[in-house]
Amino acid sequence: MRLFKNFFKKKSHSNFGDLKDDRLDISQREALEKDLFLVPSLEDNLEMLRAVVGPSTDVITRRLRVGRGQIPAALVHIKGFVDTLLLERIASTLTLGMLESPVGSTSRHTIFSEFRDRLAQSTDVKEVDNFDDMWTNLTQGHAAVLFDGTAKALTLNTQGIATRQIEEPASETVIRGPREGFVESIETNVSMIRRRVRTPNLWIEQFTLGDLTRTQVAVMYIKGLASEELVQEVRQRIQRIKIDGILESGYIEEFIEDNPFSVFPTTFRTERPDRVASMLLEGRVAIFTQATPFVLVVPMNFFMLTQAPDDYYEKLPIGAFLRLLRVVGFWMSVVLPGFYVAAVTFHNELFPTDLLISISASKEGVPFPILFEVLVMELVFELLREAGIRLPRAIGPAISIVGALVLGDAAIRAGLVSPPVVIIVALTAIASFTVPTFSFGIAARLLRFAFIILGGAFGLFGIQFAFLGVIAYLTGLRSFGYPYFAPVGPLILSDFKDVFLRTWWWDMTRRPFLESLREPVRAAGGQRPHQSIEKEEKEKR
Amino acid sequence: MRTEKIANRQMGFMIFMLRTTFVVATLPVLTTGNAAQDAWASALLTLLATAIIAAGIAALGARFPEMTVIEYSRTILGKYLGSLISLGFLWLFLHITATDSRLYAEVLVTAYLPNTPLLFIVCSMVVLAAFIVHQGIESLGRLADALIFLFTAFVLASILMAVRRLDVANLEPVLARGVGPVLSGSITAIAVSAQFIGISMLVPVLTAPQRAASTAVLAALLIGLVLIMAAVTVVGTLGPELGSRTIFPFFLMTRSLELAPRFLERVDVFGTMAWGFGLLMDVGLFLYCGSRGMSQFFGLRDYRPLVAPMAVVWALLAVYGFKDIFEVLALFRPEVIFPYITAILFLPFLILWAAYLIRRL
Repeated sequence: MRLFKNFFKKKSHSNFGDLKDDRLDISQREALEKDLFLVPSLEDNLEMLRAVVGPSTDVITRRLRVGRGQIPAALVHIKGFVDTLLLERIASTLTLGMLESPVGSTSRHTIFSEFRDRLAQSTDVKEVDNFDDMWTNLTQGHAAVLFDGTAKALTLNTQGIATRQIEEPASETVIRGPREGFVESIETNVSMIRRRVRTPNLWIEQFTLGDLTRTQVAVMYIKGLASEELVQEVRQRIQRIKIDGILESGYIEEFIEDNPFSVFPTTFRTERPDRVASMLLEGRVAIFTQATPFVLVVPMNFFMLTQAPDDYYEKLPIGAFLRLLRVVGFWMSVVLPGFYVAAVTFHNELFPTDLLISISASKEGVPFPILFEVLVMELVFELLREAGIRLPRAIGPAISIVGALVLGDAAIRAGLVSPPVVIIVALTAIASFTVPTFSFGIAARLLRFAFIILGGAFGLFGIQFAFLGVIAYLTGLRSFGYPYFAPVGPLILSDFKDVFLRTWWWDMTRRPFLESLREPVRAAGGQRPHQSIEKEEKEKR
Repeated sequence: MRTEKIANRQMGFMIFMLRTTFVVATLPVLTTGNAAQDAWASALLTLLATAIIAAGIAALGARFPEMTVIEYSRTILGKYLGSLISLGFLWLFLHITATDSRLYAEVLVTAYLPNTPLLFIVCSMVVLAAFIVHQGIESLGRLADALIFLFTAFVLASILMAVRRLDVANLEPVLARGVGPVLSGSITAIAVSAQFIGISMLVPVLTAPQRAASTAVLAALLIGLVLIMAAVTVVGTLGPELGSRTIFPFFLMTRSLELAPRFLERVDVFGTMAWGFGLLMDVGLFLYCGSRGMSQFFGLRDYRPLVAPMAVVWALLAVYGFKDIFEVLALFRPEVIFPYITAILFLPFLILWAAYLIRRL
């Protein structure tokens, strides 16, 4: 069997002729292309290229004759991946430069190494001997130089891929803090982190995922800080992925998350380099994906979702207050409508008499039960929200007019919903917008409906049941083996300096306990600033 | 298979929550024993006794840090006698939880949901507990961690708000009728400390089994404190007469409270929620103990397949095991519960201790 394989492999460099067969399916083509080796003949190599890429006009081949020996050569690149200036410089080296320089008369046999060692004007040069590697480099913005008589190609980095400008991420805005957000280029994104965390121990491992898209995925961590088991686990879960294409980090997220049915995200996604950097400093691992600004960070826990970057940059008292407000906001957006339904349906005694009378009065003439009212209004709000996202910007205001006037005001006047319900739905909506992480808002939105239905059916017992269910679920959940509800369940009191409130930076001397068992200390103790009175004393003297 | 571990702290929280709930729920047991205005003295006595019982159960477990009570009773007493005793323990797990969930369901039905069938309430709690236990004991431990603050806040709030309305005259005269009623009042409360048996199943999964006894005693003391506070406030606000006649006096007390007049009235729902938290702990823990114990009794490797069938038995026993609330409460009469618990728990543990000490000699 092995003999046969070897035989096949040896022959394979010339079998690109098979590729001209239109009946070949994509997997067959891919398999054949994996076995294509470069041959000494330039013409054969170029024909092989043509056979593989077909009539694609963005793969550009420039034929040249190099040096005084007029050795045939070719410069290959993909349009839109390269910087034209750099490319022109290489072309001029190959043509003019070779003619003028003393190595211009090099023979056909040594021209490749001469060019590689003495002339190639690029700092990132790779030598490849098969088509697959050459193509991978081409798609990363390299240009390939092929010489007649050498069964190899030299690829030079001439990267110049057009990307979006770095701008503030729309989904995670801050009042105080860096205004940079990730872009669609993995190289730019990685460099943004490198600029923030300059230690050489910031390690990056590269993977290629997706048989057809061949998406670059980078795993980043601080060597020696992130637990080796965690890094190994991430590596394993990523390497397990077998799929034809990865277009967004969401694909990877679904392959590597711990529990596919969880409404709570178990991988943290963000567009902000400062957040990724801060998480790397806590011993977590970041996963970058080519062509998306969303970076995944693992392991995550529940309480990361109520943290906003400002918390750490803004003065402590307001930062702490806002954090607490968001925690309350999240739970309010989950529980409030359900609680209201339960209280109105089963526990009228919870309201003081006056309030109860006004609630009952407003319900007068409304034909639907309260459960139905709240459910419908919540659904309407969800519709408005979704419509607001999908609408073209220009007609955006229209939806708010429809929402506010037609659905709000008119529905009340027509007696279809009672005013308190509108207030509750509006409050819930406002509360849900305080959650700084969009993916977390999704969980709140879904859970809210469960609370409404259970509250409407079983009163506060239903609310309690749902609450206990959610907490029980959260405490059972894990993210890459780390308990999701830490530091509350399991209780880690030392981590409480950064959960519901945060304490001063000089007081947060330790990293999160579980994530950084290797190196728990983050800052030296005893750095609390004191008001200095020495100056005044000196002046008095 | 990875062995699950929970911290001693988590076990302490679990025991604290389920015991406090039970104490608060079944406070009439203190007053049915005729202690009346001296309920606090009964509570103090209970505190001491339960601390000793907790220490006794946990300390024996700590001698066998790798084994549950089901396993080491066989080691100590031999196959047959050991099995017999463990059978008693297994029954106890079942019975405690069934009684507790029945009580809880009765309160909910009486107070809030008169049209909801008992079976539904019991089932929803048991199903939730089964879900958690299926995830593992670690999950239950973490749940205890997550709920402890809210639970303590609810219970303390109920008690502290009642302090305002406390009438010291209700607590007098102090020990007027001698210690007899105090003693008889504490009998039931001591007997229901049978719940500490849960510790003997948890020792092998603790991170520090050798410190199980101190954890248990600490939990017992805290529970005792809550019990004393509850006894004082209940009798102090309701008076000894009403306190002894009502079925759930603590509950009646919280019903008469107002958190913030004109905004939120009738804060007893929070007390009931705390009760719900504790009950979940209770059902969860004993469902674990029951299924784990059962699996060891029959020599199965994993307890998880037993969780679902046991949960069904649990729910059915809670609903159909008793005719009505008075039959449940009749179980708590000192002359019924004390011999029962003695026969099934105290005596076997004395035998185990004795046999252990004799073997050591």
